[in-house]
Amino acid sequence: MKSITLALVATLATATAALAHSKAEDTTPANEATVETVEVIELRFDDPMRVTAISLIGPDGEMEITRETGLDPVTEFRAIPLEAMPAGAYSVDWRGLSADGHPMQGAFAFTVSD
Amino acid sequence: MEGLAPIDGWALLAILAKAIGYAAALIAMGGPLFLAVFRSAPPDVRRIARKLAVIAALIGLAVLALRFGIRAARISGMGLSGATDTMMLGFVWDSPLGTAALWRGAGELLIVAVLIEGTIGMTASLLGALLIAMSYAFVGHSLGDPRWILAGLLVTHLLAAAFWVGSLAPLHRAAAKGENAALLHRFGTIASGTVAILVIVGVSFAWLMIGSPTGLFGTAYGWTLIIKIAVVTGLLGLAARNKLRLVPALASGAPSASARLRRSIRMEIIIVALILLATATLTSITTPPVNL
Repeated sequence: MKSITLALVATLATATAALAHSKAEDTTPANEATVETVEVIELRFDDPMRVTAISLIGPDGEMEITRETGLDPVTEFRAIPLEAMPAGAYSVDWRGLSADGHPMQGAFAFTVSD
Repeated sequence: MEGLAPIDGWALLAILAKAIGYAAALIAMGGPLFLAVFRSAPPDVRRIARKLAVIAALIGLAVLALRFGIRAARISGMGLSGATDTMMLGFVWDSPLGTAALWRGAGELLIVAVLIEGTIGMTASLLGALLIAMSYAFVGHSLGDPRWILAGLLVTHLLAAAFWVGSLAPLHRAAAKGENAALLHRFGTIASGTVAILVIVGVSFAWLMIGSPTGLFGTAYGWTLIIKIAVVTGLLGLAARNKLRLVPALASGAPSASARLRRSIRMEIIIVALILLATATLTSITTPPVNL
């Protein structure tokens, strides 16, 4: 029984992570995009999502952003980077609570070019 | 695989807590259902059903509180300190889990009334079982459309499952004595009906969630469901063997029948635990294909 459980967990843990309980959201900048400047970070959802945590990680570590959207459930979430964003690889990690009560998390990455 | 959420330690903990919550809820609901159906069962068997229902209800309440903390930790992204963050806990309370917790908590408290002999205790605890079943219709995938059909299917599925799961421990006790063969035979007859309902209702719900054969084989939800169905099939096989072979053997006074039947019921309990784990995985980290 233990091995069945382990196999079940292992299968699930190694599978490619996708986003559950939310239809494919799209973002600004788009995932994997290369951009020159970033004026705003946006997340769009099909159903209202309460974004409870968001972080921007740049080439030199975590960077400050200001939430333009409050903590209410929204279909469009906006945040503004506070600092200048030097060229390099960036990623955004977010967590939230979906309308049906599921805890959600997601991430996307983009590159800022010179 | 399509439709699988990111999995970290907190997600695994959430699945485990949910599975324990399912077990507690089903045993708590199943106790009063068993007592209502088997009014003339021997006192020691009825005592087990009562005692387990109350213990399960109390564990259920504790798990409910724990799940609030786990969920707050997950949405905060802060780990353990998020589990006690009042703002994050407030968001969880405002979410459908908050509504579900009120109904489930009230239901689990009412289950404790099963300790009171007579009609009042029976009625209150059965109402508790209904509240617990209904609480599950306030969260998760049953919130989709068609809402009332999904909710109705889910409540029926849970009550039928609870009758079975909640009966296992009392039946394990009953199987110790050959004179209880009539009771076990009666359970087998009733269970043939309730299990049929359980399966039909479960398949209907799954069909509404999946919608196409590709959804079954192409998604994490579909594969987790396939695992669940495979384990359920094993359980049904075991149950059929109990009903058709071991219970008649017990009735005819075969010497090893009692030990074999009890071992088989213990095996059923282990299989049920696996099914609940698969179900908690299904409802936690996979997306039904209709929602993809």
